[in-house]
Amino acid sequence: MNGPTLFGLCAAALIGFGLYGLIVNPQPLRKIIGFNIIGSGVFLLFGTIARRGAAAGMGGDPVPQALLITGIVVAFSATALAVALLLRLFDEGGVVTLVSEASPTEAKADPPDA
Amino acid sequence: MTTSGLLIATAIGTPFAMLLACLIPAFRKRMPPLLGLAPIPALAAALLADDTLLMFGNAQFKLAFAMDKPGTMLLTVAAILWIASGFYATTWLRNTGHAGSFVVCWLMTLTGCVGVFLAADLLGFYFLLAVLSVGASGLVLQGGTSKALRASAVYLGVALLAEAFLLAGLVMLAWVMPHGSLLIRDAAAAISTSPWRDLTLALLVVGLGMKAGLVPLHFWMPLAYDAAPMPASAVMSGAVVKASALALIRFLPFDAALPEFGLPLAAIGFFGAFYGVVIGLTQSKPKLILAYSSVSQMGFLVAVIGMGLAVGDSGSALAACFYAAHHLLAKGALFLAVGVFATTGRHRLWLVLLPAAVLALGIGGLPLTGGAMAKLAVKPIMGDGFVGLLANLSAIGTTMLMLHFISRLVTSTASIPSTSAPVCLASPWLLMFIAAIALPWTLYPMTGIGIWSYALQPEILWAASWPILIGIMPMFVLWRWRKALPQMPEGDLIVIGERALRKVITWGDGLEWAEGWLRRWPVATMMLLALAVFFGETLIGWR
Amino acid sequence: MPHSLSAQDVTTPGGLLLVLAILIPFIGMLIGFVFGGGKAMRVALATLAVGLAIVIAIAKALVQSGDAVIYILGGWMPPLGVALRADGLSVVMLLAIAVVICGIGVYARADFGSPSGVKEARAPLTFWLLLLAVWGSLNLVFVSGDLFTLYVALELLTFAAVPLVSLDGRSETVRSALRYLLYALLGSVLYLLGAVLLYGVYGTLDIPLLAMRVRPEPVAWAALALMISGLLAKTALFPLHLWLPPAHAGAPAAASAVLSGLVIKGSWFLAVRLWFDVFAGVVTLPSAQTLGTLGAAAILVGNVVALRQTRLKLLIAYSTVAQIGYLFLMFPLATGLSSAGLDSAVAVNGGMLQAISHAMAKAAMFMAAGLIYTTLGHDRVADLRGMTSTLPMTVLAFALAGASLIGLPPSGGFLAKWLLISAAITTLQWWWALLMLVGGLLTSVYVFIVVVRSLAPAHDGWKPKLPVPRYQQAAVLALALCSFLLGAAVLCPLDVMQIGRTVSRNTLLP
Repeated sequence: MNGPTLFGLCAAALIGFGLYGLIVNPQPLRKIIGFNIIGSGVFLLFGTIARRGAAAGMGGDPVPQALLITGIVVAFSATALAVALLLRLFDEGGVVTLVSEASPTEAKADPPDA
Repeated sequence: MTTSGLLIATAIGTPFAMLLACLIPAFRKRMPPLLGLAPIPALAAALLADDTLLMFGNAQFKLAFAMDKPGTMLLTVAAILWIASGFYATTWLRNTGHAGSFVVCWLMTLTGCVGVFLAADLLGFYFLLAVLSVGASGLVLQGGTSKALRASAVYLGVALLAEAFLLAGLVMLAWVMPHGSLLIRDAAAAISTSPWRDLTLALLVVGLGMKAGLVPLHFWMPLAYDAAPMPASAVMSGAVVKASALALIRFLPFDAALPEFGLPLAAIGFFGAFYGVVIGLTQSKPKLILAYSSVSQMGFLVAVIGMGLAVGDSGSALAACFYAAHHLLAKGALFLAVGVFATTGRHRLWLVLLPAAVLALGIGGLPLTGGAMAKLAVKPIMGDGFVGLLANLSAIGTTMLMLHFISRLVTSTASIPSTSAPVCLASPWLLMFIAAIALPWTLYPMTGIGIWSYALQPEILWAASWPILIGIMPMFVLWRWRKALPQMPEGDLIVIGERALRKVITWGDGLEWAEGWLRRWPVATMMLLALAVFFGETLIGWR
Repeated sequence: MPHSLSAQDVTTPGGLLLVLAILIPFIGMLIGFVFGGGKAMRVALATLAVGLAIVIAIAKALVQSGDAVIYILGGWMPPLGVALRADGLSVVMLLAIAVVICGIGVYARADFGSPSGVKEARAPLTFWLLLLAVWGSLNLVFVSGDLFTLYVALELLTFAAVPLVSLDGRSETVRSALRYLLYALLGSVLYLLGAVLLYGVYGTLDIPLLAMRVRPEPVAWAALALMISGLLAKTALFPLHLWLPPAHAGAPAAASAVLSGLVIKGSWFLAVRLWFDVFAGVVTLPSAQTLGTLGAAAILVGNVVALRQTRLKLLIAYSTVAQIGYLFLMFPLATGLSSAGLDSAVAVNGGMLQAISHAMAKAAMFMAAGLIYTTLGHDRVADLRGMTSTLPMTVLAFALAGASLIGLPPSGGFLAKWLLISAAITTLQWWWALLMLVGGLLTSVYVFIVVVRSLAPAHDGWKPKLPVPRYQQAAVLALALCSFLLGAAVLCPLDVMQIGRTVSRNTLLP
């Protein structure tokens, strides 16, 4: 097994773990972590792809590295936003769950009077 | 722009401009007295304009308006009905609070009605028909009762359903039009050469037939005409419903004999003609009886069109138009008569009753009335065989229904015997009466359908008389045994339809539950992944 | 290949405008953030005006040159550099979105003006900044010519849209926002994975270059499947619409208008780009039919569920679920046309018109619902008495927007329907035509119910809870009118949408 294949398999495994957590785990925080694991898997894959440029005689393809960094920043901000929302949710209700008590179609969804 | 173009433009522009002016409340308040004036440009256009094509737009797309022969005839009589009903409405509105919305709906319907009569391209026609439907359903709503709400909903629903069929038909039609033309005058030729001729024709006929009140999709008609205010019923039963008949006449290829289409159409039409009579006889409200008579008469009109299509008689278009024109005048006048009657006491009854009776029996074909001329005009199309017999039977039926109408009308007078209808209500009605008597006589020779001397021959007069005489006889029996007749709910078939609708609504419970289930997090996320896999599969597997 | 790189890849006159169209909203956002407080609104409104002018200038440049407007960032050519491109599709969307945003901006002046005496209120400040952010990211989605830039743009769009859901900060709305965010993130990570795979094989993410290099092979299939599904999740196409109805339940009217009218159009537009410009040679008719089928399910389920809603806002939200379905009917139709060797422009134009007219109509509807809520203090469909006499312009706007959704002439919805039905008949896919007609009928039922309920006279002595400023009503009516009169686009002498798309159309036909 050569390097790129190993990394590729690792990336696939990470994406799988992440997806499992994101889908199955009921806790929002674990979901956020799940998302980050998927993200890591994708970035690892991208890194592997960049490494392949080296095989063509270059010192590595620079474009994926640039994109990767951007992607990590984006994923970081996504996580930050999600965590901020989560904290807010905790402050409001004390209970942190994504399942609303009532179905949204009949919830007491009238916003309070402005 | 030529003079004719200008006339046509003002005919549509005037009611439309008034409609726009209604956006300003101050203008809207002053609008009611002007309702009777709005259709005058349309009348002028019908009388003076020639058949130039008025185009708006650019090389890619044009809106076209034109005055063809059927359009001229129907627009003339429709404009008169709109004028008379407009003045009637002015008086009627004095006693009601919510004049504003009535005026808006009225002008919208008028714009649509005049527009449909004049539209010469597919898109413009469809657009104005939609304006007409929405306006007319608004007019029905003006009845203000919960019955009116139901009637309006049913009306709009049927109209939109019909327009869905029509849209499909028109798109198919547009596809085969030569050189991308969208002109209605090219449509008939395009249909008969189209590879999808049958489907296109079927879609058009179903769509327009629904709007014309063909049985079994006639149920909106009694509901709407009963619930709408009197002047609105008059224009709807007279002018609005003729728009679809006119469209049928314009779209159907009369040059080529299409018995496989014409005969079933005629059969449905005749069925409606008798069905309307039978159900109408069980009704007791004058407005409802008139509505069912409209079902019957529109059925007959469609039968005429169907027969004309079956034999490929291009003259039948004009004859059918003439029939429609007479029905427009007579039915409009009769609806107004119902209103006048309600404000007339028993003492002056005969003043109103006599003209109403003449008009009513005229629909059955009373000699020397416009109705007799109309029947005479369509006689060559019906022939003397089985179809001719059916036509005569339908005349007998109509006579019975009209006698029933008169007998019910007599009981609906004002409670104080000495009252007489206000002049401003009676005079529009009188105008309509005169128009309904005189205009068919004028139009008959003018449109080249026939000449007076032919219509006045004794054997022709006799041929028109005997169905009336036969029709009178069973009515004595019916009046005697009236109580034994079953009472049909108004709108007969709609009751079944509403039951079915309720069932569908309960199915919605299950659908809503399923939708809620799909929105659960694990389900939705799994769906997303499954979709990605399936999507990949569709890319690979079916290559 | 007729496609010549040298002609494609130089900055055209007016190219700088593309940069401005993206930067101006973000600059406005930063300025608003720095000044804060009550000034944010004024900054935002000024930015809206400037941005609208820029978008109009772009449209002018496009029509004058008759070709796409291009800007090469920093002079670095793709594949190393990044290009901004605005072809007909982009410009039409830019224009439509600018009009809708301006309408929403005028409307929101009343709802999100800073209350007097308060130095800085959180919700108004957030709203104005996010409105600009949504606009900037949407503009970026429309003009970027590179799949990774598009990924960033989509993420920006999501980040700007999510807090709009929970402006009032109640736990219910925060929960909706979090659900939306997580689901959208899953969608974008799938998209990113697809983009990564594409780069791995073809070595570029630039759209024209990729369009030339992409071949029907496993990697391209996997990438397309991942990217499209990710975008569907963000667009909330049924059955992936879990976030949409709850998001609308608690959001303020103006925010709902942004979400429903604009935000979902971003990911939808990207799907269109991928489908027609990048993967034109890879897509198959069955895959297009799959999209169409989902659209069909959306139309039926969305409309029926909308009919059963008791709250006006949720009714409109489910109507959005249904209308998103219409947006995906163009895929089987256009693919059917091009696989029959015909020009797919009819179907593409129809789909774009549908999107634009829906953006305007839905924004108008949500804002009308907001005005009704302000006046009544609730938005129960069963009890809209007296609305016509109190808010005549608003009810008229609702009816006109409804007419556009139903597809009555002369609305944009009608023209779209006409084009799509002609495409359906040409390609003998009559079932899509049938579906569109049925969907229109279902739509007409709830529009009718709402209008009729609001026609009922108010109880005696009833008073509006809060008066509604006239300009708010006018803004709503103006948007509804835009949508209703959009059918007049047929008079447009030039097929603006197809400008600058000839290259990609050639790739459709070998």
